[in-house]
Amino acid sequence: MGIRFYQEPQLENPILVASWPGIGNIGIIAVDTLKGMLGAEELGEIEPWEFFYPKRVLIRKGVLESLEFPSSKFYFKRMRGGDIVFFIGEEQPSEGGRIYAEGKKAYHMANLVLDVAEKFKCRRIYTSGASVALIHHTTKPRVWAVPNGQSLISEMKTYQNTVLMSDIEGRGGHGNITGLNGLLLGVAKKRGVEAICLMGEIPVYLQGLPLSYPKASKSVLEVLSHSLRVEANLDTLDELDQKVQQRIEEFYQQIPLEIRSQLDRLKQVTYAQPAEPGPITEEEGKRILEDVENFFKQRGKRG
Amino acid sequence: MNQESPATIHQEPDLHQSSLVLGWSGDAGDLGRKVTDYLNLKLKGQEFAEIEAEAFFPMGGVAIKDNVARFPESKFYACRDRELVVFQTDSPAAEWYKFLNSVLDVTGRHCHVRELYVFGAMISFSAHTTPRQLLGIANSVEMKETLSQYDLNRDMDYQTQPGERPTLNSFLLWLARDRDIPAASLWVPIPFYLAAMEDAQAERKVLRFLDERLGLKIDFYDLDQEVRRQNEQLARARSRFPQIDDYIDRLESNLMLSEQENAELVKKIEDFLREGG
Repeated sequence: MGIRFYQEPQLENPILVASWPGIGNIGIIAVDTLKGMLGAEELGEIEPWEFFYPKRVLIRKGVLESLEFPSSKFYFKRMRGGDIVFFIGEEQPSEGGRIYAEGKKAYHMANLVLDVAEKFKCRRIYTSGASVALIHHTTKPRVWAVPNGQSLISEMKTYQNTVLMSDIEGRGGHGNITGLNGLLLGVAKKRGVEAICLMGEIPVYLQGLPLSYPKASKSVLEVLSHSLRVEANLDTLDELDQKVQQRIEEFYQQIPLEIRSQLDRLKQVTYAQPAEPGPITEEEGKRILEDVENFFKQRGKRG
Repeated sequence: MNQESPATIHQEPDLHQSSLVLGWSGDAGDLGRKVTDYLNLKLKGQEFAEIEAEAFFPMGGVAIKDNVARFPESKFYACRDRELVVFQTDSPAAEWYKFLNSVLDVTGRHCHVRELYVFGAMISFSAHTTPRQLLGIANSVEMKETLSQYDLNRDMDYQTQPGERPTLNSFLLWLARDRDIPAASLWVPIPFYLAAMEDAQAERKVLRFLDERLGLKIDFYDLDQEVRRQNEQLARARSRFPQIDDYIDRLESNLMLSEQENAELVKKIEDFLREGG
């Protein structure tokens, strides 16, 4: 089990940008959009068979023709001022049927990604995902940024529409990043490589829906493209967002009026001055969360 | 168990050019266990190796079946007179690649396996009176050609549907192909109302193919009797309960039952058979 390279280019001063599916597929949509926009070339892949169960079989006229596994591929793009290596995983390797990476396999995969980063002398790694937040779906999502070293914080404070964990009310600078996004940050730290995780906010009441959330992908991509000094065309994400927003509105109208009116108050939450108390108190926030949770429980019971 | 392999070899099987037959315990109609048990009984299969459960099954307790605690088992049996390896196993819950490779390692190194047959049951919405058809999937064109001499459907087209995953049988066929081992998976439909019980007709269908293909020379008199006995039981159920008869009648006319009717038929048949029919 290892890495198979299709080519081994000489890269200059590269940065690695990694992503996997997760809540709202926020990170993977942002990174995939950037990769597509730049026309990145395939670089290699992590051999999948020990990490994943096959995802597709093709049987033709009684003969097994092919068996496909979820892919974990690297791409690269030469850029002025520093090349970019992309890593896009179609699934997170996990044990025990969970959707987020966990256990030995996840740790092994994080190390393989780092092996590639070190092979090409990547000076930094970005991972991206979702942060579940008490926001409304009509609000522009912020990006929560977590570095793996203190020295990166001053740079991150210059990013637009971005907050550190200490800026988020009630967090006190603490939190968790589940799955490979978090694991990669830790493994990079262990191996002395700079890494930053960018997480686009998704409204708490949408986190369990089988919907992507391109509005947050756009926020992540804005930060990422600024940091990578890349001109990003966000039109495709805007179009995707419009389609998804329609479905979200349909779902939103099904929420009982009592809960919806509570959620409507989230529209007033703005983050122009995140350190100041918002229009919803901590107590009210907790109540909204409880109401939403109860609503989903009841909905689940009804099937 | 050593560091390298999760398999333990209890004794060398003394097989030199063997065929492997693999059945999964706990599939519909308990087909995998029934067929492999039958082969071991008839051909005096001797256990010679096993794969340790620890790495492949959740160790969160034990399952209970027929009032008895069960522990996952993956055992190899050698039928020396027929150059046959029988592998009876529960389906692993993790590390499938490692598990299936261990099967091929053990049977390759210790039994010199030259071909492989794995079988499974498909839930069917047909009546039990519909003749069982065996469906074969080969891992090479050559193997398909070999299967053409036997009574089975060999022209299946299939692609994994959204939300589904390939079967372990497909995974095994793919790995066998990688090692140049001709392999086939055999599928037999089992009426949905017999899925939790057993289906002697389905067992016989698989066994007759294996007998013919591998020259096993098994006398199936007892299994023929079992098929007859089960058919008679089901006929009694129909005559005693008009509703069962009506449901099966409709299935025989290719009509679909409602979800509720399906559930009712399953319950009535299972109750009847459990009470001894």
